[in-house]
Amino acid sequence: MFEIVVFFFFAVVAVAFALMVVLHRNPVVGAISLVVSFFSLAVMYVLLDAPFMAALQVIIYAGAIMVLFLFVIMLLNLQHEPEPLNRPIQRFLGYFAGSAFGLTLVYYVVKAGVTVPRAEVPFLSDAHTIGVRMFEAYIFPFEMVSILLLAAIVGALMLTQREVVRRDERLADLEQEKPR
Amino acid sequence: MAFDPTDVALTIVKIALVLAITLSITPVMVWVERRGSALIQDRPGPNRVGPLGLLQSLADALKFILKEDFVPAQAHRWLYTLAPTFGLLPAVTTVAVIPFGRPFVIPELTLFGRTWFEGGRLFEPIIADVEIGILLIFALASLAVYGLAMAGWASNNKFSLFGAIRASAQMISYELALALAAIGVLMSAGSLRLTDVVWRQTGNFVLFGVEWLKIPAWNVFPMVIGFIVFIVAAFAETNRLPFDFAEAEAELVAGYHTEYSSMKFAMFFMAEYMAMGTISALTVTLFFGGWDIPWWSEPATFAGFLLSALAFLVKVSLLLFVFVWVRWTLPRLKYDYLMRIGWKVFLPMAFVNILIVAILIAMGWI
Repeated sequence: MFEIVVFFFFAVVAVAFALMVVLHRNPVVGAISLVVSFFSLAVMYVLLDAPFMAALQVIIYAGAIMVLFLFVIMLLNLQHEPEPLNRPIQRFLGYFAGSAFGLTLVYYVVKAGVTVPRAEVPFLSDAHTIGVRMFEAYIFPFEMVSILLLAAIVGALMLTQREVVRRDERLADLEQEKPR
Repeated sequence: MAFDPTDVALTIVKIALVLAITLSITPVMVWVERRGSALIQDRPGPNRVGPLGLLQSLADALKFILKEDFVPAQAHRWLYTLAPTFGLLPAVTTVAVIPFGRPFVIPELTLFGRTWFEGGRLFEPIIADVEIGILLIFALASLAVYGLAMAGWASNNKFSLFGAIRASAQMISYELALALAAIGVLMSAGSLRLTDVVWRQTGNFVLFGVEWLKIPAWNVFPMVIGFIVFIVAAFAETNRLPFDFAEAEAELVAGYHTEYSSMKFAMFFMAEYMAMGTISALTVTLFFGGWDIPWWSEPATFAGFLLSALAFLVKVSLLLFVFVWVRWTLPRLKYDYLMRIGWKVFLPMAFVNILIVAILIAMGWI
């Protein structure tokens, strides 16, 4: 009973704030709504007996990625979008396609949820199980992802490095120009 | 899960106890900070309100309530109002997973013609002993930055925005060092549960096989590098001097809370001190044996619980005093220096700590 109340409360919050992300014109409000939505999703994981996943969801998505998003939005200082463009047809098509997709999704999820029986195998998602799986069964993809991330880090460093080198050269130039 | 009224009642008692202590950290710490700074700067400090100025915090609180609650005209009204709450929530909630005393058995009790706690009941002095313990703390603490970011942005003031941007960059950078420094502790405990971490630290390390030469089995001794990284990152996470770039009153007026007044400002103020309390409690739990009393094994009775809880409080208070001591001793660093040491010194140090702990565990020394 208690679980159902919690589920519906956070389900409504998650969907409402996800809608806010799409519909609100202010990018900062959008970003913060997404954080609230992510947090509500984490509660869903807790209800599914996967607290480890819930913690990762909050730490990675809400705590790290969205902070960077918000950081960039604040740095660029994006203000209110200019007033809505007058494109009634596109607008109609957007709302129509979106709601049609959502309704179809709800229809099939409900259908599957009613007819398909739940898996009998116990669902394990504690830190130990995930760690063992990741370093035994999925070691190759795991290592590939780390190489990919390393490449991204090196790339980012290269992009920022250029300016520093130039400043060093400028300093060297200044040294030479100094009257003796 | 079966619904057990006694269990619910005990949990409510624990929540009330922990919340009362957490909320009273702010007034006590304000007094300690003001008297402590006076002590360090060789001046009397507040000494007019009550004996030794003890009621100064009460006067401050009254002042906050009576001030005008002002919202700048160009501010984003909703986010501006919500921001202090966002800042305060993580600070209040994280203490729930920290064990604050030795578990004890409540004996059977006959009162008002009814038998309570049939056959004795184990009382765990922790609100929520969840399996992800420390991850929950990191998850909630990582949300604290939104309070600052929202406040800075919603105020529509360039100094506030600069404070918020600095705070976000600083907190993301040092969160990493903080979490990595804690990994050594989790490795030796083999669990994310903070009760396991504390139990692992009860008992003694016997040095060089000499029986009388023993030190408490606290993590701070084998993982001193990890502890140093953790405590520095803790200072950065709580935005305390020498890392208080979110406020930096010499450069940014008052940083992210420049435009805040009255109780909204008081909430940021409370959040800062409560975050200090939480991080001190976490440091004590991870590195100083939590409620463990050195060279003594606490009995599983009410007296054992009380003494261990007292030991925990004493350790946390000492650490909180270190926060004050450091603030009034060290000057503020330069911002680029903060980022540089964060990424180039403390992060590698945290990795070295993990390596050392791994070797110690492999050799069977801890």
